[in-house]
Amino acid sequence: MINANRLSKSYGDHVVLRELGLQVDRGERVAILGLNGAGKTTLFRCLLGLTGFEGDLQVGGHLAGPHGREARRLIGYVPQQPPRFDLTLDGFIELFSALRGGSAPDVRKRLDGLGLSVREHGRKSLRDLSGGMLQKAVLGIALGAEAPVLLLDEPTANLDAGSRREFLAALGRIDPATTLLFASHRLSDVEALADRLLVLSEGRFVYDGRPGQLWRLAGGIELRLMVPSDHVEALARMLESRSGVRFVRANGTGVLVRVEDGRELDLLLAVREAGIPLLDFRTHPPALEEVMAHLSEAE
Amino acid sequence: MIGRMLLRWELQQSLRSYWFLANAGVFVVGGLLLMVFGQTDVSVLGYRGFARALAALVQLALFFVPLMALFPSTAAIAGDRELGTLDYLLAQPVTRGEVYSGKWAGVTAAMVLSLSLAFAVTGSIAAAKGVPTGLVAALLGLTVLLAMAFVSAGMWISAAAASRTRAVSVGLTVWLVLVALGSLGLMSAFVRWGLPAGWLQAWALLNPVEAYRLAAVAILSPELELLGPAGAALLERFGRTGLVMGATGSMLGWAVVGYAAGRWVFGRAGA
Repeated sequence: MINANRLSKSYGDHVVLRELGLQVDRGERVAILGLNGAGKTTLFRCLLGLTGFEGDLQVGGHLAGPHGREARRLIGYVPQQPPRFDLTLDGFIELFSALRGGSAPDVRKRLDGLGLSVREHGRKSLRDLSGGMLQKAVLGIALGAEAPVLLLDEPTANLDAGSRREFLAALGRIDPATTLLFASHRLSDVEALADRLLVLSEGRFVYDGRPGQLWRLAGGIELRLMVPSDHVEALARMLESRSGVRFVRANGTGVLVRVEDGRELDLLLAVREAGIPLLDFRTHPPALEEVMAHLSEAE
Repeated sequence: MIGRMLLRWELQQSLRSYWFLANAGVFVVGGLLLMVFGQTDVSVLGYRGFARALAALVQLALFFVPLMALFPSTAAIAGDRELGTLDYLLAQPVTRGEVYSGKWAGVTAAMVLSLSLAFAVTGSIAAAKGVPTGLVAALLGLTVLLAMAFVSAGMWISAAAASRTRAVSVGLTVWLVLVALGSLGLMSAFVRWGLPAGWLQAWALLNPVEAYRLAAVAILSPELELLGPAGAALLERFGRTGLVMGATGSMLGWAVVGYAAGRWVFGRAGA
């Protein structure tokens, strides 16, 4: 669905994308991860034709770029900063669904499905809607014309925790045939949505694989173990003595522990054998900086 | 189809802005005041008195209309770019040409509407006092051309400017040079350095504000003292029709060249 071959982009002497190659199939959920300035947004700008580039870039067999109207027709776009036009929500839906060749009633129905009632908020100015509501409206427009590709540029970056959860849940409900390409620097978003991860660093892909695999390679998995408060100290002591444990941090409700790749199950069994009552546990991906540091070392 | 949608949107945005309403209001009130002052002349001079009042309206227009056109047009592209809304619009299946022409047409249509409103009020009074409606319509046509010239210039500036503030600043400088300083400054320069008279005449025709003044005065009342020295020389050289056509062509040229240059600059921005 998306094909890039030797895609390069420079601003003067500053090279942002270096001869990238990329192939994304229909229905794939691909996250692009990278620190600020890695080239994620530039890659998206190339796909949307907002900037020129060198190399070959196609969406659904159509050339992307400034003249790539047909390529853009296949892409529903959700930017990091939702656009606050001087329009009401109704006006926004009418105008942009028409520009995309979709129908406003269909977008309204989709927005209802995403938990945004157009009947209730339609007359409100976009400038008066919360970030989460506006981001949902933009998602509804993107989905409205049944675009086969959804491009999301750090869509949850400016949302509060509640709106972020709702937005991710809404994304989880989209048609499985839709190709999803999204940029993020939140590993939790990547884990929630992606089945393939690309890591972009200094204009090149330095990782292409499954997200979980990278977490393991990049210094292990973090486990949060919740136990009764009178067992916290004993648990922390027990964990510190085990091999494969990278660090242990205790607080009143439990222990945060990082273990090497594949050791998490052993650890849970050891807790049980030690007779410590485990109330709950959660896994967390490592921090983005650790992932990037690992990839730099691997190079 | 897409161009028409964008035109309607830009027009709605322009008409909602206080800037257009305020300017249309000032123009109507100014025109009415001039009409009231024109009454004295009418009682003595009849139709020619009202033509003089319309000439005063021209004077008002050549200061106000460029400003009315420059403010929304200089903000049209640069403002949207600054808000981040332009990228979202261009990420849709539209071309840069459609976006540019839609915005240009929307701002121009808003100008035409507000000028038509102003001229409808003042013109109907003038018509009631015996001024031919054709004269008022011709004056409206010239004023619309002046507005189009400045909308095109403003959009060109907006497409090229890095920020809204810079676009508006450059727009105001253009206004200052062409409207406020243009005639006076140039006249002083000609006197000071003794430049050839042909240059002053060429400037009078090439400056859209001067071109508007000459064409309007030539239509309303071709009297030497109202045309000024350059206008009088041009009138003598080309005759009334030639002067009006030349001045009209100059404004049209500004509108067309400004539009084409702005569209080219805007199109290149994505390359």
